[in-house]
Amino acid sequence: MNATYDTPRRLILNLEMDEVLSSVAETIKNFAVIYLVDISEVPDFNTMYELYDPSTVMFFFRNKHIMIDLGTGNNNKINWALKDKQEFIDIVETVYRGARKGRGLVIAPKDYSTKYRY
Amino acid sequence: MEEDIDGDIEDIEALNYDDLDNVSKLQKSQRFTDIMQKVEAALQNGSDISNHGMVLEDDPEYQLIVDCNVLSVDIENEIVIIHNFIRDKYRLKFPELESLVHHPIDYARVVKKIGNEMDLTLVDLEGLLPSAIIMVVSVTASTTSGKPLPEDVLQKTIDACDRALALDAAKKKVLDFVESRMSYIAPNLSAIVGSAVAAKLMGTAGGLSALAKMPACNVQLLGAKKKNLAGFSTATSQFRVGYLEQTEIFQSTPPPLRMRACRLLAAKSTLAARVDSTRGDPSGTAGRSFREEIHKKIEKWQEPPPAKQPKPLPVPDSEPKKKRGGRRLRKMKERYAVTDMRKLANRMLFGVPEESSLGDGLGEGYGMLGQAGSGKLRVSVGQSKLAAKVAKRFKEKSYGSSGATSGLTSSLAFTPVQGIELSNPQAHAHQLGGGTQSTYFSETGTFSKIKKT
Repeated sequence: MNATYDTPRRLILNLEMDEVLSSVAETIKNFAVIYLVDISEVPDFNTMYELYDPSTVMFFFRNKHIMIDLGTGNNNKINWALKDKQEFIDIVETVYRGARKGRGLVIAPKDYSTKYRY
Repeated sequence: MEEDIDGDIEDIEALNYDDLDNVSKLQKSQRFTDIMQKVEAALQNGSDISNHGMVLEDDPEYQLIVDCNVLSVDIENEIVIIHNFIRDKYRLKFPELESLVHHPIDYARVVKKIGNEMDLTLVDLEGLLPSAIIMVVSVTASTTSGKPLPEDVLQKTIDACDRALALDAAKKKVLDFVESRMSYIAPNLSAIVGSAVAAKLMGTAGGLSALAKMPACNVQLLGAKKKNLAGFSTATSQFRVGYLEQTEIFQSTPPPLRMRACRLLAAKSTLAARVDSTRGDPSGTAGRSFREEIHKKIEKWQEPPPAKQPKPLPVPDSEPKKKRGGRRLRKMKERYAVTDMRKLANRMLFGVPEESSLGDGLGEGYGMLGQAGSGKLRVSVGQSKLAAKVAKRFKEKSYGSSGATSGLTSSLAFTPVQGIELSNPQAHAHQLGGGTQSTYFSETGTFSKIKKT
């Protein structure tokens, strides 16, 4: 995981999520860059960020970790595979807006507290 | 040419409108016969390219071609005159025919075929006209108001038809001759549109220099057929294309691009004609390069549009919202602006407790609203422009309401401090900026002098 300046970044560890991220990368390249890290190859941050799920997405802006209120209880990361591209773009944009204003916690546009229900 | 027709007629009648010769003189003229003889000779000799060395203007063949062009225009005029003559004569027999068959040569042929016949089922018009028109002609003939012609009139009419057909044949010969020489006369023009069409264009225009002087839009329309006959659909009519329709380039373009191609062709062929009229390029290379250009352009039109690139999103908040201004926006903002009442309620006098809605300091405070000593008793809401609109609508809604004020207002009021108080209209002007009150928040206040203590 590299430190970044000016743009938020994330860590991803799952193919489903990979698919969404790769398709979105070109669209949001003006304000966000995506980094893919394999936690089996780079285990240095596993305890620090509690990276135990199959896929985890975290947001960083100018070396600061940005929290998102998704309604799931865990504000630090998105630890499931987000299937919808537009939802993901919305989250990234919200994070960017809030982070630029200096907020450490932003509120996600959609509530994921019921994400296990279909 | 055939000069044997006219011998009898001119002997019998002279100086009479009835006589065709009085109106149609071309065929008898010396000029006509001379040129036709030369044309015949030249056609038989085949093309004579050996005289390239000579300057074009001195070349007798060039002169002949120039004459031919003029002649073909004259022939056309002559045909129109003869057509009028035939028409006038034949009107007694079949008046509707002239509005059904417009083309003079076709008309002449049909007249010749029908003759004095009253029953058109006995007449076979096959091959002279399109079948649809034959049908219309037959139907009209059965209900026509015409009567058979007397024998001499009929004879004259038939002779006139023969004349017209002869002139038409002569014109064809002239055009053929010009066409065969076209690549020598106007190489650039024939490189673009082909020699047949070039000859026709030149013939209709009346010469190469006349063609060169025309604007391209006219060249496009040279030889265009006029309106369709009444009753037939105009959906299939090729709009606004003349001889250029017969060019190879036009025929090979797909129908949706044909109009553009026609305009392009007309423009380039006009340029080529201008080059040719000044003999700027005898070899015809300019014409060939024009042709290449036209081909390239038409191909380019047929290319599919470029593939759509997915655009990345812009940075959020980087583009500030476009705020509008102006009278309309100001009026709209006025509706939600802070009113005078609210301004008064927001402020307080120093040392004077404010009244409140629930009394005793509870509820919403009224600030300077309704305080004794202010000029107004009741601060009316009427000043706001929103209320004017609302009042108007309210008026429209409540059917036949009376005046705006209710009958219960009076200028007397009871205040707790000073008892009865009368309203002082003059004081309203200084209400918000009175001298005894604080000017710190005043909108109209200015700097005041501060004395040194």
